Amino acid sequence: MKVIDRFAEKFFWVAAVLSLSVTVLIFGFMVILGFPLFKGGQFIELLSKPWLPDHGIFGIYPMIVGTLSIALLGLGFAFPLCLGCSAFISVLGPKRLGRILKKTVQIMTGIPTVIYGFVGIFLLVPVIREVFESGSGMCILSTSLLLAILISPTMILFFSDSFDQVPKPFLDAVDALGGNKAQKILYVILPYSWRGVLTGLILALGRAMGDTMIALMVAGNAVAIPDSVLDSARTLTAHIALIIAADFESLEFKTLFACGIILYLFTTFIALSVRSIDSKFWRKK
Amino acid sequence: MDNEIKIKIDGLSFFYNEHRVLNNITAGFPEHTITAIVGPSGKGKTTFLMTLNRLWESISEARMEGRVEIRFGDRFHKIYDPSYPLSQLRRLVGMVFQVPNPLPMSIYKNVAFPLKLAGMKDKNIISGKVETALKRAFLWEEVKDRLTDNAFALSGGQQQRLCIARALTLGPEILLLDEPTSSLDANAGAVIEELMLSLKERCTLLMVSHYLDQVKRIADTTMELSDGKLLEYPNS
Amino acid sequence: MMDRVLEKVVAGFSWICAMVLLGTVFCIVGYLLINGLGTINVTLIFGETDPVDALLFRKQVFDGLFPAIVGTFALVALSVSFAVPIGIAAGIYMAEYCRGVLKRVFSLFFDVLAGIPSIVVGLFGFSVAIFLHNYFSSRIYPCLLISALSLAFLVLPYLIRTTQISLENLPEDIRQTAPALGATKLQNIFYVLIPRSLSGMASGVILSIGRCAEDTAVIMLTGAVTMVGVPKSVFSNYEALPFYIYYISSQYSNKQELLSGYGAAIILLVICGLLFTVAFFVKHRLAYHALYRQ
Repeated sequence: MKVIDRFAEKFFWVAAVLSLSVTVLIFGFMVILGFPLFKGGQFIELLSKPWLPDHGIFGIYPMIVGTLSIALLGLGFAFPLCLGCSAFISVLGPKRLGRILKKTVQIMTGIPTVIYGFVGIFLLVPVIREVFESGSGMCILSTSLLLAILISPTMILFFSDSFDQVPKPFLDAVDALGGNKAQKILYVILPYSWRGVLTGLILALGRAMGDTMIALMVAGNAVAIPDSVLDSARTLTAHIALIIAADFESLEFKTLFACGIILYLFTTFIALSVRSIDSKFWRKK
Repeated sequence: MDNEIKIKIDGLSFFYNEHRVLNNITAGFPEHTITAIVGPSGKGKTTFLMTLNRLWESISEARMEGRVEIRFGDRFHKIYDPSYPLSQLRRLVGMVFQVPNPLPMSIYKNVAFPLKLAGMKDKNIISGKVETALKRAFLWEEVKDRLTDNAFALSGGQQQRLCIARALTLGPEILLLDEPTSSLDANAGAVIEELMLSLKERCTLLMVSHYLDQVKRIADTTMELSDGKLLEYPNS
Repeated sequence: MMDRVLEKVVAGFSWICAMVLLGTVFCIVGYLLINGLGTINVTLIFGETDPVDALLFRKQVFDGLFPAIVGTFALVALSVSFAVPIGIAAGIYMAEYCRGVLKRVFSLFFDVLAGIPSIVVGLFGFSVAIFLHNYFSSRIYPCLLISALSLAFLVLPYLIRTTQISLENLPEDIRQTAPALGATKLQNIFYVLIPRSLSGMASGVILSIGRCAEDTAVIMLTGAVTMVGVPKSVFSNYEALPFYIYYISSQYSNKQELLSGYGAAIILLVICGLLFTVAFFVKHRLAYHALYRQ
């Protein structure tokens, strides 16, 4: 008995360590392979230079701008939408409709991003092109709209769970004092669950910044620094997908590791932020 | 009883999932009295209280038949009439729960909360009403120097008095109390009992209780709810 | 009556949000169905080749989705068989053996792993393939095996977390029953805890399957291509549905090809939708069984 016990424990432990080392390995590979970039402080320079391969300049600043603008705009569309939907599901909507919406949202989490990209190209892009009468329709705006739909289901479910965790005695108190549903949401439910809302928001931001397919298919992938939401842009993620065909040893290719490192660091930052919001609350989930 | 009838109930029946909980109850409750409702556990006493402030309506498998009328001012109002505003009803009929349920806010904000719901903005009027309510709930002296403290920092008995103060803020005419002292120790309970006696002159109180000695001490009328029927028996 | 206005505005806003969301989903799914439903037939999948020959791998299919479907299935099967044992074992470790600061450290690393964008995982897989190519065997290229491994890394944190949570959610009294009768920790885990949390773990596995089936970013860097037919071995290139959809969206040369993209999109949606529904039912049915089997 004893031997099996110890063997099993070791086995489980090895599995965990293996998984942990994958995390470290991913970062390590990128740092090692991108090492030539770090010599002479080139890495920091890369972050602020434009992408002009013909001039030998491989700055990824345009891609950083692209990623940030698309992700933040997408979040800007999604956040109020998700608050409204989860308020509808938890409190404000009729029970049966709320359940239908929740089921729909749960199913939506399974929709692949490539499908959003595909429908985006053939349905949304022409519409944007028509409505704004400028550009090809493959721009930051189209991408953000699609991204907002992509990240909404998870955010809605997250918010809705947070709202449902408000203790019933509080809701009873509001009812007994004659408060209506809107007051219940505004004065009790939202203030109580702000941590859950913030966590959901940050996780959604991470998801938005890490998406590849929608940006790759719909944002246009131009390397110029975008001026307006109707401009085409390229994200760090799309950049990786596009440059992968370059020569592995070239400096051009090495910039992909710089992109990867930035994305990885941002992921770590998100994981730490979520932790710091309230570790007790987080463990409850 | 010489007092005028405050609450009139006629043919009240209540069903959970078509299972009959209250059976054709007809009763009248005089104003400025304490009526105790006793009876076996889980047989509908809380449900009965909730028919008077319509709090049961958020439960989906529940159904009610019959009429409830309450006299506000000089005439009786059918409180289940669709034209009678629900928030108005709950300002005039306050409720105190078995386990104290202060909201996650400061003591002051808890008592001021009903005023916020009612749309009151004037800070002076609000603080005046808060002080009055806390005094009527026998809590003012204990909290007047720490009104901004979190309500959960109070003891169980204090929290319950806080909830009573909160229910009193808008000046209700009826107070429903669901086993108000059962989660408290004897001393805290005694304070609440004294408090209820003092509230008689402003309100009509209906109290669910398991403690027959408590009932003997403070109730003017006692009614027993068993088998869905409400039977009065006289108090000495 | 300020609160009347507030209530109406807030309620109205939430209704609008709900309708916008529902409307968007219907638009997306409806658009695909309208354009693609007509193409769903045997020719879409098997092209000119006889279905029986194709299914028995006797003949290659060149103008149908069959190779992509096979590729996706092979990919998913491979990556899940890598990820599940390790993920579940690591989850058991986290729930039952790991404590204190060490647990917080592991947790943080797994959270980071969970958040790494899929393209970065793909880049890692690609780099590993090149590394192995240069230092071990020049026959190693991005291929089915590399893709499967990379996908395994992608879903690993998810499996760990769902296993960990289902185990940790078991009530204290269930955890203490067997040890009180003399069972060892391992016996408790295998005879009591795992059977009880099977539904949560199973739904985690099924959702991982869905994640592997739908991913595009990882596979496009690690071996997915078009027009190579059914994969010959784990070291060869392969086709996959999501990659086909992406490829067709920009490289279609005629209406027919574009329509096949719609058909592929519908098939992928159906597969993922089915997996999700199965995961949902598994989670609830197994719980039902666990409760009523006693």
